[in-house]
This record gives sequence, C-alpha cells and structure tokens, in this order.
Amino acid sequence: MQAETLVQMKHVRKEFPGVTALSDMSFDIRAGEVHVLLGENGAGKSTLMKILSGVYTPTSGSIVVDGKAYKNLTPHDADRLGIRVIYQELSVIPTLSIRENLFVDRLPIKKHGPFHTVDHDEMQRRAEGLLEKVGLRRDARTLVEDLSISEKQQVEIAKALAVDSRVIVMDEPTASLTHEEVRHLFDVIRALKAQGKGIVFISHKLGEIMEIGDCVTVLKDGANVGTHAVSDVTADDLVTMMVGRQIRKNYQDENTPDSFEQEEVLFEVQGLTRRDGKAKNVSFRLHKGEILGFAGLVGAGRSELMDAVFGAAPKQSGRIFLHGKEIRTKSPYRAIRHSLAMVTENRRETGFFQNFDIKENISLISFLKTARGGGTLGLIDRRFERECAERQRKALRIKCASIDQLVAELSGGNQQKVILGRWLAAQSEILIFDEPTKGIDVGSKAEIYALMRGLADSGKGVLVVSSELPELLAVCDTIAVYREGEIVRTFSHRDATEEKIMLAATADGAE
Amino acid sequence: MKGERNMASNARAKEKPTFNALWQRFGTFGILILLLAILAIARPGHFFSTSTLTQILAQSSVNILIALGEFFAILIAGIDLSVGSVVALTGMVTAQMMVAGVHPLLAVLLGVLLGGVLGLINGALVNGTGLHPFIITLGTQAILRGVTLMISNSSAVFGFPASFTRTISVNVFGLIPLVAIIALLAAVVLSFLTRQTKLGRNIYALGGNREAAWYAGINVKLHTLIVFMISGLCAGLAGVVLLGRVGSAEPAAATGFETYAIAAAIIGGTSFFGGKGKIFGVVIGGFIIGVINFGMNLLSLPSTLQQVVMGALIIGSVALDRFVANKK
Repeated sequence: MQAETLVQMKHVRKEFPGVTALSDMSFDIRAGEVHVLLGENGAGKSTLMKILSGVYTPTSGSIVVDGKAYKNLTPHDADRLGIRVIYQELSVIPTLSIRENLFVDRLPIKKHGPFHTVDHDEMQRRAEGLLEKVGLRRDARTLVEDLSISEKQQVEIAKALAVDSRVIVMDEPTASLTHEEVRHLFDVIRALKAQGKGIVFISHKLGEIMEIGDCVTVLKDGANVGTHAVSDVTADDLVTMMVGRQIRKNYQDENTPDSFEQEEVLFEVQGLTRRDGKAKNVSFRLHKGEILGFAGLVGAGRSELMDAVFGAAPKQSGRIFLHGKEIRTKSPYRAIRHSLAMVTENRRETGFFQNFDIKENISLISFLKTARGGGTLGLIDRRFERECAERQRKALRIKCASIDQLVAELSGGNQQKVILGRWLAAQSEILIFDEPTKGIDVGSKAEIYALMRGLADSGKGVLVVSSELPELLAVCDTIAVYREGEIVRTFSHRDATEEKIMLAATADGAE
Repeated sequence: MKGERNMASNARAKEKPTFNALWQRFGTFGILILLLAILAIARPGHFFSTSTLTQILAQSSVNILIALGEFFAILIAGIDLSVGSVVALTGMVTAQMMVAGVHPLLAVLLGVLLGGVLGLINGALVNGTGLHPFIITLGTQAILRGVTLMISNSSAVFGFPASFTRTISVNVFGLIPLVAIIALLAAVVLSFLTRQTKLGRNIYALGGNREAAWYAGINVKLHTLIVFMISGLCAGLAGVVLLGRVGSAEPAAATGFETYAIAAAIIGGTSFFGGKGKIFGVVIGGFIIGVINFGMNLLSLPSTLQQVVMGALIIGSVALDRFVANKK
C-alpha cells in the first residue's frame, strides 16, 4: 500500500478577494493508486485542480514533486513534471483528427534538407500504440468531432500518456457517460494503475468511488476533513463527512404542516415528457403556501424539466394546471400570459439585458404582458416604468445609485433582485427559481431566501431547482429528488436530510 | 466598493459631463461638421451656394433611407446585405408598372410594399433555416439582383411619366428636396418606434440578449420577421426615390449600397453586437457618407480614387470613435 509518493500537496491555501477557496489542504498522490476527491459543489475541488495544474498560484503552502517543493508551480512546470488534468469540458480540438490531437504541440517531423514536414507515418504508428493502451478501437485518422464523449475522453487520456504523464487528474469523468462507458473507463483506469500512474478521481457518485477508489479524501469548505482507505469506510460515512456539520438557518414557518395534501393545489404538472428523456412522465403538485424544491445531480434534467414547464423548450406530452384550470405553455410568452415566471440559472446569459438599465430591465415583462398583438403593440409609458421600477427597488431593497444605472454594474445579488423584480412587477403567480443564488454572497442569499418565503406566504407558488442541498433544506417545505428525468423520491422538510437526498440522487441504480 | 465607484461616476456625469460622455453623444456629429468644414475651406465658392447644400441633402437621402432599415437588422445583431438589390428590384418593378400604365402613385405604393415583402422573405428564411442573416441575405442579394436582370432583360427602363420624376425631384421652397423630407419623415417615424413603442423596446432586448429575450416572453421569430420587413420597406422606399432622382431604372442600380448603409449605421454608433444604437446617429452617419461622396465629386477626385478614400474614411471614422471611447 505504501507506494512511491509522486506528488504531495502541503498546507495549500488559496484566497480570492473576499473568499477563501482552500483553507488548509494537504494530500498525497501515490503511484499505482486511485485517489478520490469528494466534496459538494463549492468545496474547493476545482481550485485544487487548478493549483495542481499550475493555473492558480497558492496563497501559501507548496506542492512537492520528486522531493522538490514548488511554491508557485507554473502550467509549464506541471507539464514538465508529468501532471495532467482532464477537465470536464474536454480540451480536444474537434476539427482535428485523433492523431493530430495527440501530438498537436509536438508533431513528429521528417526532414528533407532545409524543409521539414510532418511525418504522418510516424504519427500514425505512435498514435496507434497510444490508442491501444487506452483501449480505443478507432482509426487514428478519425476526426475527433465524430467521436462520442467517452471516446473523446479516451483521446484525452491517450494525450496524457503521449507526454508520459505520471499523475492524471480526472474531473468528474463519468458525469456524461453511460453505464457501459463507465465500465470501460474503469478498465482503462485499472490499466493505468498497473503502469504505476497516480490517478486523482473527482466524483460524487458514491457507488463508483467505492468501486474504483483506493483512498478517498473528503473536502469541505476548502479543507481536508479526512483521508481514508476506501476499504475502511462506507458510503454512508462519506456522505456524513461530506455534508457534515452544516450550520443551517431555516426559512420554513413554525407551523408548516408535515404534508400539504390538505391545502389547495395552486399548480400541477401531469405526465410531462420531453423527447430527449430529461423528463419522463413527470407529475407534481404545488400547494398554497408551499415551496417545492428539486434536488438532484447536475445533468439529472431539472433545468430541462422547468424549461419545458415554462414553454422555453418543447414538451412531447404532459398537462399543466393553474388553480385547477388547464393552461397551455407553448412558449414563454404563453406561460407569462398565464402568470408564470422563470428566474433562470445563468443571469448573464439568459437573465438580464446588459444594454438596458435597471428600470428597463424591470418593466420589460409588464410592458410585454399588457401589449396586444403577441406582445408587440403598445406604447412605452415612461411614468409607469419609473414607478414600477422604484416600487421594486424599494420592496426588494436593490442597492443601486439609481434606477437609471446599468444592471451589469450591480453585484450578483442585486442583479438577481432586478430579475425577480421584473417578474413581481408583472404580477407573476407561479415563480420558478433555477439555482437562485448561484454566484451570490451569503448575505444576499439570506435575503433571497426570505423573499422566496414571503412570496409563498402571500399565496404565490414557488418552485426551486438547486444543486446546493443546504439551500433546499433551508427554504423548501417539500423536496423532490430528480434523477435521470424522473422524480425518484419526495421528502417533507421535516424528514429530509442531506444524507437521504444524496443517497436518493446518487444511487447508481444499485438498489 | 463597486457601488461607490458607480455612484461616483454617476454623480460626475450629472455635474460635469466628461469628454467621453460628450463624445458618445456628439462625436459623430462632430465628424460631420469637420467634413463639411473641410469642404467649405477647400471649395468656398461652391460650398456656400444653396444648390450645393440642396444636392448634399438629396444625395444623402437615399443613403439615409437604406441605412435606417439596415440599422434594425444590425440592432438585432444581424445584418441585411440584400438592401442594394432590393433597391434595384423595387425601382425596376415600379418603373415597369408605370410604363405599363399603372398610376404612378399606385406604382410607388406597390413598389414600397414589394420592398416590405422581400424583407419578409429574408426574415422568414432566417427564421426557417436558423442560419445567420449574413448568409441568408448574401444569398438573396445575388438572387434579387439576378431577378432584376431577368425581368429587365439586363437593360434600363425609361419612359415613365415625367410627373413622377418631377415630383420626386421637387425642392420645397426651392431649397429643401422632397426626398430629404421623405427621409426625415421615415427617420421620425422609426425613431418614435424605437423610443416610444413596446415593439421597439422588444427589438432592443432581442439585440441585447437573444436568450434572455426568449425567456422574457419575446417572440423572437416574430420580431426577426418585423425587423427584416422594416429593412425591406426602407430599401423599397429608397428604390422608388432613387428611380425618381435618376429618371431611369437601371438593373445594376445601387450595387454596393449595402456597404454604405452598414457604414452609416456603424459610424452612427450602432453596435455590431446588437442592442445599442440610435436613429439620430444613423441619420448623421448617412449624411457623412453623403458628404464624403459629394465632397469627392466637388473636389473632382477621379472616381477610381473615390472608392479608396471612401473605404479609408469608413475605417478611420469608426476607429476614431472606438479609440476615443475606449480612452479613459
């Protein structure tokens, strides 16, 4: 078990302005070992990876390779020392062939006097050798864009082998793989182990970790909360370590009922199905006063489900009821006419308008809703615009110099409030929040939670999609766990725990 | 910290406008005045005659009309390369209708409407294929030019009522060309549309953030269709105006005018990335192009050199604008 130590991270700390991403992180990568890194979103995994690959320089602490301590490892050093990170968003170049990708920065050269040309035969020969090592049965001349995701991943691994990497870090490599492909990846990883490579495997699928890992380090709030041999721990232990002692503040009412079954149904979805399988015959009910949350892993299809409910993406089938009356949401416009609202996940991409100031951002949907001709006919009422923006600014306590300020200049929390204000100004009844506090500081988070609770208490419907379990536990009355396009379990907030939700969300079909 | 800075910059903007802010507002206007001043100094005798100013106005009007439509296409982060061909085809069809005995007023109306229909076709193709407007309108540019050549047998059409050409070339009070009034009216109507209507607001939103616009309930396809229809209508109007000024329908008319229209919109401060720009700026931009064109004739530069100077001035004025705007 005590194999040669390839890379050691010693007391690494990384601070960003206002945030400490890693507080005191130490861990070892040993030859022939798969070291699993486990932690919730935001625990510091990606910062750690970027420090290992030299992208970030640690604030303090060092990385020891071959007995030499590096205080500021550069990407060039990492490359030279044989440390290779395979990110989730793969870095292969789709328009080049497999072999060109493998040797993109070191093409084999043939010399003809003063002229140098690419030695295609040599490249092909070496590429075939590498592909065999990773078990990819493809002609090395195939374009990478014609490969499946798992095949592209194999190309990435082959690329790491091409430079004779000793340490290979894989960031959630199984996130978008099928069951079969995961099997295959594991075979490759086992082969790499046998060759004495050190593997860092980042994942939060517990079943996989138990299967492929040799030892596991749990990250929480930027620190190592424990490194154990996988054989010494159970999946339950890991979950407890990962979500551990979370201080949580609750926004549920004191007298929230255990079950909302008796309450009036505000909103109901029946048998919603998407063609791409991101929603398979999904049904749920939202009751008066209830906040319903959707938990699940990234890629489970929660955002896609909400897109379909809101009409932003097509539904194959399914019915939607508001106050017991069926409504059709063919497009966001139709949904908005029925007083639905959607606070999208990415503010910058799908939320606010950078070219608009605060008041224009807030008034847009109110104007659209009152316009005739599919939202086109009507005049801008500037006095109404100012009044409605001012009202939202006060009600939501948006911190800004004036409502004439550009939204892009505000902090994330205030931008989110502007978007919320837009929907409230339009008198929305059912509000869908997708990752409502992504990239928002703790203080604003609490404000947004309180606003959501206030909305539910005032009789509006609130649906929340979030990848942060503490967030769902803090605000939701009911939590539905979504996995591969289906609601697999529903918890009342009284008996929901992070452990239970995690288990339901991650069970690899084993139970 | 960030908030403080914003508040500070806002306060400053209220008290004493920065050079930056002034430039943003009046920069293009300054370029126009500068160009006019150069002409006035170079050819004082010619320049200060009323006929010169009247001619500049008349010549700029066609540019301005086309640029007004182009502005909308660029505003939604698209482009309309077919406007020159639309000008030629609508002019040709209007001329042929008049020659065939259709009343000039009806022919003009139908000509402008044809422009709108051609714009709708552009919009429908963009919506239907999902391709970038650049590709669609590059295609329709060639197609419409070809159609114009086909229906005219590649030759010019004359012989329509003199009342039409006379009316189009009228100068109100002997000073202001009717066509300039037409262009001004179009600019006023479109300025109202962009500033005061929900449609205009939606178009800016669509140009600023297409995805966000979709989630905010804006019918993206409908608005794309309307934008290209406006571009077509403006080009159609320009086609009729050009016909009246030239007095004949040339199948090769307005070749390359899309370049001038795009230049006018960009010089006028329209963002190529969409969502930003004003009609006033476009009008000034159109004037600048007109003045450059006219000025080079006035200075009797050879027509071959004119193209070179025009191109250089387009790059120069936009680069100057960006340079000044980016300098803090």
